[in-house]
Amino acid sequence: MLFSSIPFLYYFLPAVILLYLIAPKGLKNAVLLAFSLLFYAWGEKKLVLLFAFAILFGWVTGLILERVRGSRWAKPLLFLSVAADLGLLGYFKYSDFFLSSVNGALGLALPLTGVALPIGISFYTFQLLSYKIDVYRGSVPAQKNPVDFGAYVSMFPQLIAGPIVRYADIAEQLAHRSHTLERIASGIRRFLIGLGKKVLFANTFGALCAQFRATTEPSVLFYWLYAVSFLLQIYFDFSGYSDMAIGLGRLFGFDFMENFQHPYISASITEFWRRWHISLGSWFRDYVYIPLGGNRRGKSRQLLNILVVWMLTGLWHGAAWNFVLWGLFYAVLLTTEKLWTKQWLDQHKAVGHIYVLFTVMLGFVLFNADSLPQAASDIAGLFAFGRLPLLSQEALYCLRSFGVTLLLGMVGATPLPALLAKRMAEHPKTKTVVQMVEPFFWAGILLLSTAYLVDGSFNPFLYFRF
Amino acid sequence: MRKKFHSILLIAVTAVTLFGLSAYSLLKAPETYSLSERRTLAQAPKMTAETLESGRFMSDFETYTLDQFPMRDTFRRLKAEASRHLFHQKDNHGLYLEQGYVSKLEYPMNAAKVERNAKKLRQIYHSLLADSSCTLYQAVIPDKNAFLAPLGDYPLMDYAHFTQTWTGYLDYAQPIDLSDTLFLGSFFRTDQHWRQDALYPVANRLAEAMGIELDLTFTEQLLDAPFYGAYCGQAALNLKPDQLYYLTNDVLDSCTVTGYGTGKAKERPMYDMEKAHGRDPYEMFLCGSDPLVVIENPNAETDKELVVFRDSFASTLVPLLVPGYAKITMVDLRYMNSALLGSLVDFQEQDVLFLYSTLVLNNTISQ
Repeated sequence: MLFSSIPFLYYFLPAVILLYLIAPKGLKNAVLLAFSLLFYAWGEKKLVLLFAFAILFGWVTGLILERVRGSRWAKPLLFLSVAADLGLLGYFKYSDFFLSSVNGALGLALPLTGVALPIGISFYTFQLLSYKIDVYRGSVPAQKNPVDFGAYVSMFPQLIAGPIVRYADIAEQLAHRSHTLERIASGIRRFLIGLGKKVLFANTFGALCAQFRATTEPSVLFYWLYAVSFLLQIYFDFSGYSDMAIGLGRLFGFDFMENFQHPYISASITEFWRRWHISLGSWFRDYVYIPLGGNRRGKSRQLLNILVVWMLTGLWHGAAWNFVLWGLFYAVLLTTEKLWTKQWLDQHKAVGHIYVLFTVMLGFVLFNADSLPQAASDIAGLFAFGRLPLLSQEALYCLRSFGVTLLLGMVGATPLPALLAKRMAEHPKTKTVVQMVEPFFWAGILLLSTAYLVDGSFNPFLYFRF
Repeated sequence: MRKKFHSILLIAVTAVTLFGLSAYSLLKAPETYSLSERRTLAQAPKMTAETLESGRFMSDFETYTLDQFPMRDTFRRLKAEASRHLFHQKDNHGLYLEQGYVSKLEYPMNAAKVERNAKKLRQIYHSLLADSSCTLYQAVIPDKNAFLAPLGDYPLMDYAHFTQTWTGYLDYAQPIDLSDTLFLGSFFRTDQHWRQDALYPVANRLAEAMGIELDLTFTEQLLDAPFYGAYCGQAALNLKPDQLYYLTNDVLDSCTVTGYGTGKAKERPMYDMEKAHGRDPYEMFLCGSDPLVVIENPNAETDKELVVFRDSFASTLVPLLVPGYAKITMVDLRYMNSALLGSLVDFQEQDVLFLYSTLVLNNTISQ
């Protein structure tokens, strides 16, 4: 079930809010757990049992790890439980990738498993891993209550697309959290920002990308339109979903970490990754990069660590070679910045912005390809001056038809709208009007998004299967 | 205090919207048919172990909630207006509005489908027509886009190339050029079809090419109901209805029209007034889609017969050709197994006209 769907907005969400409101304090987490499992089962049917097992296994392992902490059993037990979680992830997400790669490399015909990827497995596996490692390290106590633990892992706002919430960040809120009017209002506002980003913008950019894929008249302009559209689509899609998750979290009294901070205004790739999918970047930093030695064991080891982290980051996003290449692409860019260009980029911000937008756009063209040959063809198409027509009737039409949305998207990806809204809300002349109009503005966004959904618009979700 | 009031207002307004629509969705009686979209609406799916396990229940439920959403047409209109005026998108689901006319983008030319359609007709030609004494003609009807798209920089097929390609495929039939007999006003504003009262030049051109004499004296009757064409509901925009005129005279009144759509011969009116006031008033012309329709003209001053391989555009045109023939047979291959055609129509010395719109040729003309 997608947040941006009629069943979620008008059936699931009102039901969970009502039951959550009337449930006594001691049962609120149980309500969240029950609805989260229903939310998961809606999309994955029987695989909800696997998910429930993973939760139960994580809970029991946490308790044992806490008990044996400091003993000689702790490390092997952590190793085994991490291996079990990664084994499940590996089987469901990577087995066919591995088998088809071996088949391709060795000319074999090993049968593929054909197993479907469970929704959200990459997100909840990483949450479980961080929990176990934190308990092992002693940085958090193990959760004694299975319902509270289940509510943490399965919490539907962040279950299928993050942010990757660390147990340490919400452990306290699982037991004690406040529901103030201001927090609820802020949660609603954030949720509707995300809904609007997803339904009104990401889906429209997605439709343009789909039109590009369907065209029989390729042109250089169309390749660029596609690349820019996808750059905007993936940002509005994923950050919109994160906004909705954070907003829903606030409605139920939780503070999830920010996942995006206007990444496209970055002036270096290093900065970009501090602003893009922050919860994943910080997870890899804390649980892979630093344990591997980070920057403490010399330059060459640091570069190796970067390579490993970014290869894993690529693989986390998908079991295909274009994702691996995408990760390595960033490893190269980040290494280059670390060794040579970062200082220069810091001093030449204008060049840095162009460089970031260009390289990130190329990266996402690679990311979005179905195969390596398609990636190569898409990237080549951007520079096919002379080989392809510069313009085509259809590309020009798309530019005219989607031009305003593209411009709005470009502005919307910067902090400008938020700054403007803040200024208007604080300015003595506009303050009262803004305060009176704002609730109706957000209700309008809900109605407009509903209208787009009812009309059966293009509504995929890019990170749904990660 | 002010901040608290602001929060309460925001929560109240959004909660009323969310819970209000939610309650309305749950309480509203499901509808079976959407008049504006001209389609049946999904009903609540059955929850069984099988539908749950296969996931069909979930996907059907989503379709059901979309189809049965309260004030669906209002929401569709809100989307269409926002897309047009807020985001300045030039089309909505391929439908665009220009100078009061709605049309659906038909671009680019689908060469493979055009070729496949031509192959189908060639098969029929070889099996039924090549050895007959029939005189074969062909004409392509350029669709509304040919006249409307250039007015708003919408993508436009190369209609000259399209017609040339099609004409080349049907080299066994004499081509008749209709392009200069039509203009934007020949079409309804809210429907893809052409207006019967605008078809005199087309009928004259065909008559001239096929060597028949037509008395095109008709009374133009205005349908006593507004005509909301197929694009009206699909576009979901606030559009004025068209006026629908139909042509009558004594010759047409004396004709017998027989349809074979039900498998049995059934007499029907030239203009079905029940359908004129139904879901799709365009279906009033020869009762809408039918694989085989035969019009017999007892007052004809000739014994010539015509067979028209056609789509829905012919339903409005053929009545104008009736005065020139004793019998007209209309064949719509979209609703017929073409293998049966030989047993239904005896091809001997008739005029045969392949008359298709580019809209249909660019998609499919046969089962």
